[in-house]
Amino acid sequence: MKNMITLILVFFGLVTALKEINESFLMPESVNKALQLKKLYRDSALVVSGGTASVQLVTKMLISPAAIISLENLPLNYVKKKGNMIEIGATTTAAEILESDGVPNCLLEAAKGIHGLALKQNATIGGNIFTPAPGGDMATALLSLDAQLIMSSSRGRRIVPLTKFYKGPLTYNIRSDELLIAIRIGKPPKHSMFMKQSIYKYGGQTLASVSVALDSVDKVKRVGVAVGGLTPHPYRASRVEKMLLGQKISEELIETTAQNVAEEASDTGLVSREYLRHLAGVLYKRILTRLTSSR
Amino acid sequence: MMIRFYLDGQLVEVDVKPTDTLLKVLVDKLGLTSVHYGCGEGSCGACMVLVDDKLRYSCLTFAASVNDKKVTTVAGLLSDHELSPLQKKFVENNAAQCGYCTPGMVLVAKALLDKNPSPSDEEIFDALAGNLCRCTGYVPIVKAVKSAARR
Repeated sequence: MKNMITLILVFFGLVTALKEINESFLMPESVNKALQLKKLYRDSALVVSGGTASVQLVTKMLISPAAIISLENLPLNYVKKKGNMIEIGATTTAAEILESDGVPNCLLEAAKGIHGLALKQNATIGGNIFTPAPGGDMATALLSLDAQLIMSSSRGRRIVPLTKFYKGPLTYNIRSDELLIAIRIGKPPKHSMFMKQSIYKYGGQTLASVSVALDSVDKVKRVGVAVGGLTPHPYRASRVEKMLLGQKISEELIETTAQNVAEEASDTGLVSREYLRHLAGVLYKRILTRLTSSR
Repeated sequence: MMIRFYLDGQLVEVDVKPTDTLLKVLVDKLGLTSVHYGCGEGSCGACMVLVDDKLRYSCLTFAASVNDKKVTTVAGLLSDHELSPLQKKFVENNAAQCGYCTPGMVLVAKALLDKNPSPSDEEIFDALAGNLCRCTGYVPIVKAVKSAARR
């Protein structure tokens, strides 16, 4: 009996303790403070940047975080030019990106395509990287640009290429005490373009998106082709990139490579995977045709 | 946890849970009728408010995050019980049918015109793309925004 009472007391103690943790809404004012909180709560906290994707996880009761860490007050809204490089703070919104100079064309187009002024004023580039399809348009553009992610923790900084960030659906190369604080884009390529197909002309979810970044259309030395919407997170069409390298982009080459853009496609529930694969090829062809027409 | 914020110019104090959305607090706790639940996922814009003059889907905003901030609903655009010029344009153009989306439409139009007083048609369509009108009355809504814009 005594044991039983002790057990009950321990149980209620635990419930109370959990409830207390669940009372936490944290809005750190500095990156250091945010990193301390991340170290303390690790994966039990929900990190909220713009909230456009993450808040629903709580309201739809998909997760029940021990704490919510909002990055809203961190000084991470910036687009800075550093030599040949561009650094974008993780909480920079699509609207802020659209107002900045020196941003590669494909990223501007991805930011512009985020539907509605309200979403543009709230969706952040850092949050977008974590958002699975049908979100993640800016992530597709960044992937074609060979962007690098700056992860920070109380142990220091770590640079992760975006190409090595996605490990599977909602599984990322980020440690439990780390926060994504900025994104770096190396020397922006001469040509870059992003296109997507949404359900409606204005607004609606992205079905498929393609972003291409390349240094030259006459002799390709550096190329990035990223495809979004077909899989939970965007991927690089590496087969196409290999076929383009060293080549002059011609109509025939566009046609042949287009058949290899859709390496994979998962059923999104919105449209069939066959249609998604078709869309990716069409968007890719449109982009390369447009880029070569300015030759 | 107790939070306090300026709601349409008036300081309010309210007890919220960390997971409460601003929409829930405005509607269920403060009894507002101009902020509407539509989709709960930032697709329809019926719950739109301005937080420190920035558009926010209140269904995608944790109430705790507006502590010490300024929250403006469509009711906050009135001065001395008079509709603002933008709101008057909505009335003049019959830009409301059932009215459910109207507060959100007006707030997005305000945010757009504050930033860009003479938007092109394309810019108006693009700004309003996050707001749905279930009566499909988009033509008079766009007309109202255009007539409120500086020509």
